[in-house]
Amino acid sequence: MEKGYSITTKPIYGTLIWQKKATHHVVVVGGEGGGKALLKLFQQMVPKQPVSVFYLAEDDASKKYVSTVEDMSGESITVCDSLEALTTSLKTELTNCYMGTQFYVAGEEKLIWPVAKVLTEYGVDDRNIFKEQTGSLARRVFCVHCETINEDVHHNIHQCVNCGLNLFVRDHFSRHWGAYMGFMVDGETPGEIPPAQEVYP
Amino acid sequence: MSALKVKVTAVEQVAEQIKHFTMVAEDGSPLPYFSGGSHVVVSMDIDGRTHRNAYSLMGPTNDNSAYQIAVRKQEKSRGGSVFMHEKVEPGTLLEISMPTNLFSIHRLAKKHILVAGGIGITPFLSQITDLNRLGHDYELHYAYRSAEHAAFRKEIEALCGDKAFFYPENETGRLNITELLSKQPLGSHVYVCGPDPMVNGLELIASELGWPETSVHSEKFLAPATGAPFTVSLLQSNTEVVVPGDLSMLEAMEEAGIDAPYLCRGGACGRCEVEVVECDGDLVHHDEYLSDAERVAANKILPCVSRANCSRMVINL
Repeated sequence: MEKGYSITTKPIYGTLIWQKKATHHVVVVGGEGGGKALLKLFQQMVPKQPVSVFYLAEDDASKKYVSTVEDMSGESITVCDSLEALTTSLKTELTNCYMGTQFYVAGEEKLIWPVAKVLTEYGVDDRNIFKEQTGSLARRVFCVHCETINEDVHHNIHQCVNCGLNLFVRDHFSRHWGAYMGFMVDGETPGEIPPAQEVYP
Repeated sequence: MSALKVKVTAVEQVAEQIKHFTMVAEDGSPLPYFSGGSHVVVSMDIDGRTHRNAYSLMGPTNDNSAYQIAVRKQEKSRGGSVFMHEKVEPGTLLEISMPTNLFSIHRLAKKHILVAGGIGITPFLSQITDLNRLGHDYELHYAYRSAEHAAFRKEIEALCGDKAFFYPENETGRLNITELLSKQPLGSHVYVCGPDPMVNGLELIASELGWPETSVHSEKFLAPATGAPFTVSLLQSNTEVVVPGDLSMLEAMEEAGIDAPYLCRGGACGRCEVEVVECDGDLVHHDEYLSDAERVAANKILPCVSRANCSRMVINL
């Protein structure tokens, strides 16, 4: 790759840090990695303002930090077993949120972006959603040819699950789709498909 | 700059120190449409000197037959508001700029909170016609000193109904901004126009409450500050201009026949920004546009409102 080259749409994630200027904090985490991010957040401090925590735990391994965090923070955590259940709980919470609420999301991209989309629908500016990527680097890939979202993509060349074209996974990211763009890799020379590498483990 | 030639058709005293002017195109043609929150710059010939002040267009925005502005006679007027109050009458011909908008509503907002102090009500009058047409959720909070200062209250009641709230300071005390901004739904945007302490206070409170900067909009029309005279040397024009204590750098350059760029003349838009190549003193910034880093770098100035404590400054113009 050319040195110094980057694409501005590619999300750059940070580490969750409590925002000092806030009236309320809403934290959404998923999986074991998200649990660790949540722990780190409460190890910074337990904020003075009210905190609401939503935890997506699809398996038992992910749940192991729930009680630790609850003991440490004195806050009760809403544990959800699916993204759908989490989204429903979050939407109920958002109708009671006011301007001045700060939002924090930690997990894999397949959690971060659907959550960001819900928040944006409720009027939250994307710049006020603090994000930390944890766990797998797997990408959601949008096939620009058949408009299918491909989940859990680990390789830089990926065969679209719908149309079967071999896609090159770009860094170009759509916040609307919450996915990276995938383009036909052998458009110039049909059949010439470079070997795929696992770059998003 | 393209200008519009207009004729004043009506002048009405609408409140203590506030006059309302209606103007139409001199040749009777329709005027350009504008969006809510726009302003025009009015040129005035004061004792042979051209003076320019920005005034908000009050709307309605769907009416292109006439423009409405309101002017408060400033206690410390540099001549402009006194000229408007004392010399302008029905039949007066004026030159105004094309409408420019630096204070438009954010169309993706879920709710708009409009906060006006005194004469700061004027840009909201046109914004309200936009909001009513779009059917957006909004609230207008209008603070003023006392009933005699409540310009356009009847019009606002008719336009906004129960969305308008009035705060006569002598009866209800000051509008409590912390309370106002504490319980607003997600996606709200706040807009403020009024005296400096009100605008600065609201911006500070919003920031402390955690409102993102992008959801807070303000408009101040700053009068250029007065100060000590100094000389400006213009590199490209190869000339020197003396800036007297009571004129802005921009005004002094215009008097010397320099066609310097400008738009808002209030330190808000940045159009007049010019590179400072050299200065043997300190720049005194009064604008709302330059970042803190740019101020520290001290190599740019907005000549419409800012000046310097120096004897000589060289600019790239």
